[in-house]
Amino acid sequence: MSLLTVNQLSINFSTRDGITEAVKDVSFSVDKGETLGIVGESGSGKSVSCYSLLGLIPMPPGEIASGTALFDGTDLLQASEDKMRKIRGKRISMIFQDPMTSLNPYMRIGAQIIEPLLLHNKISKAEAKAKAISLLEEVGISDAASRYQQYPHEFSGGMRQRVMIAMALITEPDLLIADEPTTALDVTIQAQILELIHELQQRRNIAVIFISHDLDVVKHMADRTIVMERGRIVEQGITSQLFDAPQQEYTKQLLASIPTSAKPEQYRFANSDSNKEQNFLSLNDIRISFPNGKKRFVAVNNVSLNVKQGEILGLVGESGCGKTTLSQSIVKLVNIEQGQIVLHAASDNQQVQDQQLHNLQGEALKATRKDVQMIFQDPYASLNPRMTVFNTLAEPLKIHKIASKADDIQARVLTLMQDVGLEARWANKYPHEFSGGQRQRIAIARALAVEPKLIIADEPVSALDVTIQAQILKLLLDLCQQRQLTMIFISHDLAVVRYIADRTAVMQNGQIVEINDTETLYQNPSDDYTRRLLAARM
Amino acid sequence: MIDSLKQLQNIEFEQGRSLWQDAWYRLAKNKLAMFGLFVISFLILVSLLTPFIAPYAYEAQNLALGASPPSMQHWLGTDIHGRDLLTRVLYGGRISLLVGFAATAVSLVVGVLWGTIAGYVGGLTDSIMMRIVDILYALPFMIFIILLMVVFGRSLLLLFLAIGLVEWLTMARIVRTQVLTIRKQEFISAAIVSGLSHWQIIRRHVIPNVLGPVIVYITLTVPSVMLLEAFLSFLGLGIQPPQSSWGVLISDGVKTMEEYPWLLIYPGIALSLTLFALNFLGDGLRDALDPRANRD
Repeated sequence: MSLLTVNQLSINFSTRDGITEAVKDVSFSVDKGETLGIVGESGSGKSVSCYSLLGLIPMPPGEIASGTALFDGTDLLQASEDKMRKIRGKRISMIFQDPMTSLNPYMRIGAQIIEPLLLHNKISKAEAKAKAISLLEEVGISDAASRYQQYPHEFSGGMRQRVMIAMALITEPDLLIADEPTTALDVTIQAQILELIHELQQRRNIAVIFISHDLDVVKHMADRTIVMERGRIVEQGITSQLFDAPQQEYTKQLLASIPTSAKPEQYRFANSDSNKEQNFLSLNDIRISFPNGKKRFVAVNNVSLNVKQGEILGLVGESGCGKTTLSQSIVKLVNIEQGQIVLHAASDNQQVQDQQLHNLQGEALKATRKDVQMIFQDPYASLNPRMTVFNTLAEPLKIHKIASKADDIQARVLTLMQDVGLEARWANKYPHEFSGGQRQRIAIARALAVEPKLIIADEPVSALDVTIQAQILKLLLDLCQQRQLTMIFISHDLAVVRYIADRTAVMQNGQIVEINDTETLYQNPSDDYTRRLLAARM
Repeated sequence: MIDSLKQLQNIEFEQGRSLWQDAWYRLAKNKLAMFGLFVISFLILVSLLTPFIAPYAYEAQNLALGASPPSMQHWLGTDIHGRDLLTRVLYGGRISLLVGFAATAVSLVVGVLWGTIAGYVGGLTDSIMMRIVDILYALPFMIFIILLMVVFGRSLLLLFLAIGLVEWLTMARIVRTQVLTIRKQEFISAAIVSGLSHWQIIRRHVIPNVLGPVIVYITLTVPSVMLLEAFLSFLGLGIQPPQSSWGVLISDGVKTMEEYPWLLIYPGIALSLTLFALNFLGDGLRDALDPRANRD
């Protein structure tokens, strides 16, 4: 008999616009020692269905419409709060996505780890401490006895996630629910944490429900996989079979959306008709630092880089490597401490001169703002929530006096919207009325409004679901080709960069460790760090 | 392009729903807040029309009547000088509301500008500006107002200024905190990259996004200012006779509370009703404008 059997689970949320079926007729089971992967895009109901098992969804507005969830003979959905307290944290534990917020910053980690143990078991504090320390060692925290007394902020993201895992396992649960446990982590750290979860599961023979939006991760971790879409289970089966031979249209679409290949031939820089040797932007020995207490933290050091006219340059690296800071210096959102940023004039245009971007002020700076535009990561934060799409797109046109007559502005805005795949009749809507992917299209349209020559895209698809991501990448490639744009594409996602970039630069600790043609770099990395990054991919 | 332009002429635009409309929708569902809004609107209307609807002239008195209880001629009775109380409550309300809104307006303008500039510019400017706020906070403001009144004499204008200049401090702090979070949002970076000047960014992107909490704070400031005015008048520092406000009326009423209770009760009811209404409205607005509710 299965450890957990969920049968016909339906969950509704009442909203202003009526009742939403967040989860509909979901049935699955998990056996002891098995890992069940649940994949789906945001809003697919994958988290809600698991949270409901522990009574963690707010009711109201949530409501369990029907279903049972038998866990070792107890129906979790009917159990009293008393009974649930004995199961939650003791027999079923959970790891959350963000290790930065899921630990209490005012409590020493030791006290947090033993809290569930003291709550559920009759055990002395000393015994609990001994157990916690041995568990901390088991999850790979060296010098556990002294780190036991430290606060969460003294740990890195990966280490905190290890602490979370120790906390989840200390009561020796039968079932562990891991909700996107590595989404907030860098790729090398992610590989370690996944390995750790896998190892612990084998050793302790526990069941794991692994929720993720990342198909590669689930493929790597799960024995069986469930694919969810809009609250329903689309397909489920043995992981290898499901990934190799998906039966349902949606699963196929999902799998096809993962960028696995090299950049499509027709988009490649080498196949374009632009002047291949013309440098468009040169960064020369750039150094950027920020005040950090009495010292200065050097975010970017010794970086030199040439971007050719018409190419897409990928910039990859883990969080804190300086890739965003470097890109922001090009648009003068941060100032450089030393070095030069030069925007080269086209060789066939004698009127325009090279521009030293880092020295520009006032009107001259405003003039080059037209040439260099930026797309940001978070499509929720990068649009002013109180401006309509029309006003958002019209603003740069007015600022740079590209169009002044109302008719002209309207025509340009509406054309732009069509170019990025938005319907013109949505022009008077506000950002919150659009989905994430649509918002990112608005942000792209805003960047294109002033007809720039260079676009800096800082993680433009990281916040998007994989099917949307594929659409946006395609859109960017098309736009670059049609408008002969040069682009710097920043991402932590190696697969995405491989798909979109002609050349790729790898950054680590504020420096560029390797730069080469993308395919050469991916197939024959010459730097150690690049090799490690590539190896950490699932 | 030409073709698409022709098509564009015939587009039927879908009308968007702004966050303000959204908030209004939520507010409209809150009965208590709508009651508050209705009462406030009613009071403002009555205040504006007072000279036309008041049953007696402001100075008219009938000494022979003395303090008479409510009657058909004088619905709320008369005061010890034989003046119609309803008339006096109406005129007093004009002053009370005027003080409330005018002083709040002063605090609004000064506070929003101060807080926005401090929060947006940041760094040393921010530190200096906010330390000034801290210092002003530390001044015992009663003494400050009393001194102002003593030195410059009592006048309505000075009262606006004095109260407004005290109330802007909190406004500046609230606005600054809001601006600090908004300044870090990517749409501000996007605006910089688009080439907007700082002033344009503040006007178009920052201020519209801080208005929510500011509006809530306004509806809570107006009653506190009215209360302050009542308190000052009660102490004899506020409005000067023959002008009167609800505070003055209450102060007078207290003196004769036992003999002529209606002189205290009616102005008291008027003031309380206004304060309740404003607070209900403020609470409703806070719920309606809550940014957490805006993200579905």
